[in-house]
Parts: sequence; C-alpha cells; structure tokens
Amino acid sequence: MNTLLARARAIPSWQITLAVALLVLGFLIAAQLSAEGPRVRYTTQERSPLVESAQSLQSQQDALKARILELRNQIGAMESQGPGSADSLKALYASLEQARIGAGLIGLTGPGIVFRLEDSSQPGAGSDSLVSAQDLRVLVQELWLGGAEAVSINDERVTVSTAVLDIGGSVLVNSAYLAPPYKVTAIGPGDLYTRLQASISFREFVTDRVEHHGVGLAVAQANAVDVPAFAGTVAIRFGQPAASPGATP
Amino acid sequence: MTRAARGFGRSRREQLTIAAVAAILGILVIGQLRGQAAVPGLSTLSTQELTLVIANLNTRNDQLRTEVAGLEQQAASLQSARANGQTTVDQLDGDLARIQAWSGAIGLTGPGISISVRGAIGGDGIEEVLNELRNSGAEAIAVADVRVVPGVVVAGAPGALSIENTALGDVFEIRAIGSPEILVGTLTRAGGVIAQIGATYPDARLSVTPLETVALPASTRNLIPGDGQPRL
Repeated sequence: MNTLLARARAIPSWQITLAVALLVLGFLIAAQLSAEGPRVRYTTQERSPLVESAQSLQSQQDALKARILELRNQIGAMESQGPGSADSLKALYASLEQARIGAGLIGLTGPGIVFRLEDSSQPGAGSDSLVSAQDLRVLVQELWLGGAEAVSINDERVTVSTAVLDIGGSVLVNSAYLAPPYKVTAIGPGDLYTRLQASISFREFVTDRVEHHGVGLAVAQANAVDVPAFAGTVAIRFGQPAASPGATP
Repeated sequence: MTRAARGFGRSRREQLTIAAVAAILGILVIGQLRGQAAVPGLSTLSTQELTLVIANLNTRNDQLRTEVAGLEQQAASLQSARANGQTTVDQLDGDLARIQAWSGAIGLTGPGISISVRGAIGGDGIEEVLNELRNSGAEAIAVADVRVVPGVVVAGAPGALSIENTALGDVFEIRAIGSPEILVGTLTRAGGVIAQIGATYPDARLSVTPLETVALPASTRNLIPGDGQPRL
C-alpha cells in the first residue's frame, strides 16, 4: 500500500494534468461525434439573420399563444361568474364550457400513454431512420383507432384543424416547428396500449420503423397524463354555422 | 547541459504540450456549447427552408394576433356587461355556434370543394389528402358524409377502406369548406398531394371540383371526453 502511494506521489504533476486534459478531450470528441446525426446541419453563422428572424417570430408566437390561453381562461372565469342567474343563461354557460372541452380548447388530464420517438442512433443510417411527419401522423391515427380521446405532439394539441408536415429537418404541428425527440401523449381507456398492440397496422408500423430502420420508440403508461389546450385560432371565415345540428349535406 | 537546464527544457516541452491540448479542448468546448445553444429545429433547415419557415411563421402569427384581438374584444364586452349588470346572450350564442361549428359539433355551410375518389387507394392516401386540406385552411371536412373530427380515421387497404366502421366503397366523395381557389390550387399543383398519390396508387383517380356551396353535417361522435377530465 505504502509502495503504491509512494509511486503515485512520484508521478510528476504535469503528467496528471495532461492525463486529465486528454480524458476530457476524449469525452468531448465522443460527444461531438455522437451529436453528428444523420440530419443535415448547417452552420448558424452563414444564415444568422434568417435564424434570428425565425427565432424572434417563434418567440412572438409563444407569447401570442400564452396570451390566447390567458384570455380564454379569463373569459371562462367571467362567464362562470356572470351576472345572470336565470337558468337559461346558466345552461348557456355550461354549453359553452362543454363546447370548449369538446373542441380541445381546455387542457385535459386522465389515464393514458406517452410515446417518445427519436431518430435512429445507428451510425451511417439514412433518411429513413429519421422521425418524419408521416410517422407522427400514423402514430396519432393508431391512437385514435385505439380509442384515444385527446392527443398532443410535444405541447401541441391535435385538433380538428391540425396538420402535421415535414419542413426540412423539423415537423410543423399547428403553427409550431418541432424537433426530435417527439413526445406523443394520449388520454384514453385504460387498455389503450393493449388495443394498440392488438392492431395489425400498429405492429406493422413498429416493425418497419423501429426494427427495420432503427427509429427509437419508447412508451410509458400512466394513470394520469396531461394533454394541453389548443392555443391556436378558432376562426370560421368561409363557413356559416348550420341552423341546427346535423345539417343535411 | 546542467540538471537545471535539462529541467527547464523538459518543462518547456511539457508546457507546450499542455497548451496545445488546452487549446484543442477550448475549441471543442466552444463548438459543443454553440451546438447546444442553436435551436435544433432551425439548425437542420436550409436557407430556402428557413425563408419558407419565416413566411409561414408570419402568416400564422397574424392569425394568432387576430384571435387575440377577438378574445380581447370578447373579454372587454363581458367585463362591461358585468359592470352594467347586463347579460350578453347574443354574444355568448355567437361564440357557442362558432366553437361548435369549428369543432364539428354542428353542421357548417359555405364555399369549398368536392373531391371525387375512384379506384384503388389505401387509407394512408386519403389521410394524406385530409392532412393537406387542413394545411390549406379547410374549415371543415367530411368523407362520404362523415364529418372528420379528432378520432375519425380513414383506414384500410385499397378496396377495403372504411370510416367509423362503415365501408367506403369504390367511389366516394370528400368535401371541404374553405377558399375554393386555395384548396384546388394546393391539391392539384405539380408535385402536390394528388400527384404524389398518383405515383403511389396509379389506379386511383381523384378529381377536384370547386363549389359555391358545400353543406357539411355535424359529427355523430360525442366530442366530450369520458376518460379525461378538464384541467382547470
């Protein structure tokens, strides 16, 4: 023991410093290489003004969405404390609340599952190993078919107006540009995942994307997951609401 | 060479080695930090794609501003009505109709398009069309008189398509309300969704017709969740 200590003390300090520095260097090189995924990356410097504009617009969008949610909450609160005490008015407020819940304008919590999709980590994998908008659409469709009643992708609620599109290396959902890893959250019946596993099309999706192309897919079931409210526009510019439900075509 | 001189020489070499390693280390640390600071979504976009993103963000932000302005006006009216002890039944009715029409709880009528679908096509092809319609600003969509709302999926292999557990048959119609010009233009453009479907499903025929009036039914689904509870 004493011999070992003596030998350790005999090592020059510069060698220890160098060893530590080389160790850190090794970690950094490994981290740098692992960050080089199959997605094309561009240097920020050459497109700096464009990137800054996009970031600024994205920040503005985040603020606008937060304001929409704030105003909807404020309006809901005012309506529920409205001056009218007539039963008809109370019924109207209740209908509004139900309509907002049905439209996805109010966040939900309940039993469900969360999927996490990410690009393949296999070195040299091609574009098929990247998570695409099509993957997200297929997963969401499978969740609907399995009985899900509310779904979100990252923090974007999937509503009647939601399109999911590929834009370069990111995916556009509602008005938000999302980047992997993607988190798809669904509220539904307790056996939602069992139903998915029983679905032939879901199994084919997993076989093709995960087993053949190495896309990362993880799943967690929980007694309570949160699906956020839709923070976009609820605008009808061209259509007119029908006089009564169930209008004839 | 004296011991002191040898020591100095070795020390100088050591210092140079450590300095070189430290310099490389510094460069790598800066590279790593810069990489992490960049927005991951934007770092994967080309200049052309970034320009598209910026145009898209501008358009969507304008829509969100319009929504904020409408909500602010609504909140101000409610505030004023509360202060005066009045009710705003008409406004509440209008708001209710708008939300119900948007979500599919009630029927909707307006200009739009009809897409006639014939031949062998898979559910994924129809879902691509629906996705493109939403992206083009369609306000409401129905497939064979079934209103498309969250939970409704067109599924199945070619020749065995179904929606809401009902077979679609060989010929059916997709109808959508929105700007006919924009909807027709987006669907039928070169390299657009219909062209792509033609490559995937060569036996499928999709023809798009602009219409002055399209009437879409309400969804027959119960849109109120049973498993989820509002997060108020």
